[in-house]
Amino acid sequence: MEQPSELTAGAVRTWDRPLVMVPVFVVLSAIGGLFPSFSLLANMYVLGIGGTLCWLGLSGRVPKRGVPRRLGRSTAWWLVPLFTLALIELAMFIAGSTPDHPTLSLLADPVLESYLPRSAVYFGWLSAFWGLVRR
Amino acid sequence: MSLTRFIAIAGFVLAAVLFAAVEWAARRDNSRIPTFAQMTGFVMQYEVGPVPVGRIAVFGFWLWVGWHFFAR
Repeated sequence: MEQPSELTAGAVRTWDRPLVMVPVFVVLSAIGGLFPSFSLLANMYVLGIGGTLCWLGLSGRVPKRGVPRRLGRSTAWWLVPLFTLALIELAMFIAGSTPDHPTLSLLADPVLESYLPRSAVYFGWLSAFWGLVRR
Repeated sequence: MSLTRFIAIAGFVLAAVLFAAVEWAARRDNSRIPTFAQMTGFVMQYEVGPVPVGRIAVFGFWLWVGWHFFAR
């Protein structure tokens, strides 16, 4: 497999560093954790932040990391966890997503009702989104 | 706890362990397995003409995940 190069689109901007982005995401997550599910503010907030990150990722305003031009056959190993997750999720969804047949989101709902876990998961979602924008 | 609920939770835990195991294998020296980030980056390169279909699909999926867990 060809190894990726380092940053490919110019120099790293001043704000485009973990020292800047991590505190920004901590603040955004702390605010996002305040809004309960099904509320208008929660919808507006997640769509606003997600939409902004989509725009950044599609507009090419953020330097991107190099990615491999080709992937070898060993990539197929990733099908094992992906199919396992998809199989369980699909089976539970078809069974109705009930407490006896819970999907992942049904299991996550009680955890995400508390502020700290909700903010922590929000931070993970934002960080992963930023990682995608940089790809 | 019902048996089906136990199987579901065990299945999700198994999937998470498998994700971690493959990622660990990918990060070893001279590994031929790409990391999850490299694989995702490769998928995001897919374009149809001038349209970055891969990026749109991955961003759209991740936005949906956030909306599904935090807002819906």
